Amino acid sequence: MTTATLLKEPLPVHPAPPRPRSAWSIGERSLGLLLLAPAILLLALVVLYPVGRLVYASLWDMRLSGGAEAHFIGLRNYADLLADVDVRHAALNTLGYVIVTVPGALIVGVALALVANLSWRVKWPVRLALLLPWALPMSFSGLIFAWFFHTDFGVVNDLLRRLGMAPVSFLLSPTWSFVAVCLASIWKASSFVALIVLAGLQTVPAELYQAARLDGASRWAQFRHITLPLITPSLAVAAIFRTLAALQTFDIPYAMTQGGPARSTETIAMLIQTNAIDYLDVGYASALAVLLFITSLCVSLLHLRRVYREASA
Amino acid sequence: MLSAGFAVLLGAGAHANTVITLFAGGNAQRPDLLRKVLDRYQQAHPDISVELRTGGATSELQRKYLSTLLNARDTTFDGFLIDIVNPAQYAAAGWIEPLDRYLGADKDKLIRSWLPAYAEASLVDGKVVALPAFSDATFLYYRKDLLDKYKLAVPTSWDALGRDARQIQAGEGAAVPEGLSIQGAPIEGAVCTFLTPYWSQGKQLTDAAGHLTLDKPAAVRGLQMWRGLLASGVLKRNIAEVKTADTVNAFKAGRVAYAVNWGFAFGAFQNDADSQVKGKIGIAPLPAMAGGQSVGCIGGWQWSLSSFSQHKTETVAVLRYLSSPEVARTLAEDGALLPAFSQLYRDTALNAKLPWLQQALPVLERARARPVSARYGEVSDTIRVATSAALAGAQSPEQAVDEVDSRLRRVLR
Repeated sequence: MTTATLLKEPLPVHPAPPRPRSAWSIGERSLGLLLLAPAILLLALVVLYPVGRLVYASLWDMRLSGGAEAHFIGLRNYADLLADVDVRHAALNTLGYVIVTVPGALIVGVALALVANLSWRVKWPVRLALLLPWALPMSFSGLIFAWFFHTDFGVVNDLLRRLGMAPVSFLLSPTWSFVAVCLASIWKASSFVALIVLAGLQTVPAELYQAARLDGASRWAQFRHITLPLITPSLAVAAIFRTLAALQTFDIPYAMTQGGPARSTETIAMLIQTNAIDYLDVGYASALAVLLFITSLCVSLLHLRRVYREASA
Repeated sequence: MLSAGFAVLLGAGAHANTVITLFAGGNAQRPDLLRKVLDRYQQAHPDISVELRTGGATSELQRKYLSTLLNARDTTFDGFLIDIVNPAQYAAAGWIEPLDRYLGADKDKLIRSWLPAYAEASLVDGKVVALPAFSDATFLYYRKDLLDKYKLAVPTSWDALGRDARQIQAGEGAAVPEGLSIQGAPIEGAVCTFLTPYWSQGKQLTDAAGHLTLDKPAAVRGLQMWRGLLASGVLKRNIAEVKTADTVNAFKAGRVAYAVNWGFAFGAFQNDADSQVKGKIGIAPLPAMAGGQSVGCIGGWQWSLSSFSQHKTETVAVLRYLSSPEVARTLAEDGALLPAFSQLYRDTALNAKLPWLQQALPVLERARARPVSARYGEVSDTIRVATSAALAGAQSPEQAVDEVDSRLRRVLR
C-alpha cells in the first residue's frame, strides 16, 4: 500500500471495543430506584396506606354504636356531609381561624423577628423567649389561655376588676370565645413565624441598610424597600405552613372551649374527633377527614407550584 | 406496662403471676380506696396482681379515652369501671363481654341482690354486661346551719329554693355569694341539669322502646327555670363554666347555700381536711318544678369485662370481688360511696355509721336513668352542649330545646 493509496482510500474504521461494564453502571436508573426504595417504602407505609385506608373507610357505613354490620354505601357519607349543618358551621369557623390567625401570626411574628434581630448584647434570652411559645405543647397553651380568660380565676378578669370593671365571661360568649381562641393561636404560632423570618432577616446584607441610610432613607422606608422584599420568600413559606396548621386547628379550641358555647368555636378537625370518638361513626368521620385532607392538599399544591416556579426562574 | 412485663417474667417460676390491669375512672371514683381493697384481694390470691389506672377527671373524658383505646381493640385493660350510662353503648360496640357464662347459676341471685335501677342498667338484652361498683344519684345538699339560722324548711320546689337562697344571700352577703351551685359546663352532669326539672313535670325523654318523646314546652320551662335563678343571682353568672368538682369545692368552702351534686360529694364535704362545712350538711331529694314530683338522676359506676382481655376468667373473679357487699361496705364506710346492694341499706351496723343511708335510699329508688342507648355518646353530647349554651346565654331556651329535639330525633328513633 502506497502512501498515495493510503491517502485516497479511507482508513478502515473499527468499532470501539465495548467498555467493560462496572458493577455500578448496570443501570443508573435501577440504582436510583434502589436508593429511593427505603424512602418510598416508608412513605407508602406512613402516608399512602393510611390515606388509602381513610378513603376506603369513607365509602362505608361503619357505625360502631351497634346494630348493622359495616356495609358499603358509596358516596353517601359525602352527600350527608354536604347537608350537615354542623359541617357548615365548623367549616366557617375553620375558615375564620385561617383568615384571622394566619395574617395575625405573620404580623406579630415579623415584629418579634425584627426585635430579636436588633443587636442585643446577650442574644440567648431573646431567642429563648422567641422559642418558648413554640416549644410548649398545643393543648398546654390552650389550657393556659383558658385559665387567662376564666371568669373567676383568670388574670384578664382580675385586671378588669382592679380597673373597677365588671368581669366578663369570655369563654361563654360565642364572639369572645372565638376571639380568645384566635389570640391563643396567634400567640402560639407567631413564634414559629418569627423563627423562620429571623433566619430570613439574617441573610439581608448590612451594606444595603448603610447605603440606604446614606441616601437618607427613614426606618420605615428601609423596612418597606429593603427588609420586606428580601424576607418575602421566608414569609411565603411561613404563610403556607401556618395556613396548613390553621386548617387543622384542634388542640387549642379543644382545650379552651371544647368547641363551645353552642359549637361556636368547633372546627372541622374537632368535628372529626367528635364523630369518630364520641359518636363512633367511623365512616362519616373518615369522609370529613378526606375533605380536610383534600383542602390541605390544595394548599400544599399551591406551595409546590410556587417552589417549582422559583426553581425554574 | 414495663412493670407488668417484669412481674410476668419474675412470676414465670413456681407459679405464674397473672397481672390484671383495670381502668378505674378518675379521682372521684376513689382509686385510693379501690387500691386498698385490691391489696386485700392480692393477699388472699398471691398469684394475681391487679394494677389500677385512671384517666380523665370527668365521665365524658373517660368515655373518650376508653373509646379511643377500644376502637383500636387495645388489650391494655382487662376490665373497666364505667359510668352507668356506658354499658349499653359498649355492649353494642362489642367492647364488653357478657358475664352470663362466668356467673352461671349465681346470675339470678346476684341480680336480685342489687337495687332495681342497677339490675336494669347492668342488663342489655337480658345479659349481664356490668357489675355495680357503687350507686349514686343527684341530691340536693344544703347548709343545715344556714337553714336553721333563717328558719327555712328544706325546699321541695325550685321556686321555693330560689326564694330561700336569695334570703340567705341577702343576709350573709359576701360570705355566701352563691345561692345554688349546679353543673352548667358541657359535661355529663349537664345532662342531668337538663333532665331533672324536665322529668319532675311528669315528662319522659324516651318511651319504653327508646323512641324520643321530648315535650318541648316542658323542656323549655325547665331551662327557663334555671335562667330565672341565673337572672336573680341565685346561680353565679358563669354557671355554664361550672363542673362537678367546682360545685364540690365551692360548697366545701362554705360559699354556697345549696348544691346539686352526686352522692360521692358527701364524703368530700364531711371528710376532707379543708372542708368548712363538716357537720353542717343536710341532704335531700332534688326540688321539683312547681306542681311536679321530685326526680333525681341515677348515677353510679360499674365494672365490665373487656372483650379484648387476655385473662378473662381471672378478671371476672377480681370484678366479682370488687362488686361484692364486702367491698361495697368498705367503700361506703371509708368513702361515703353508696352501695348498690339492697341488703346493706338494712344493715344496722352500717346504718349506725352512715345515718344518711336512709335518706339516700328513697332518692335512689325514685331516681330515673338517662336514656339507655347504643348511641348514648351522641345523646349526651347533644344535651350537654345545648344546656350549657342556654345557661351561657349563647342560645335561648327555645333554640336550645329545638336543637336537642332535631338532633335527638335522628338518634333516638
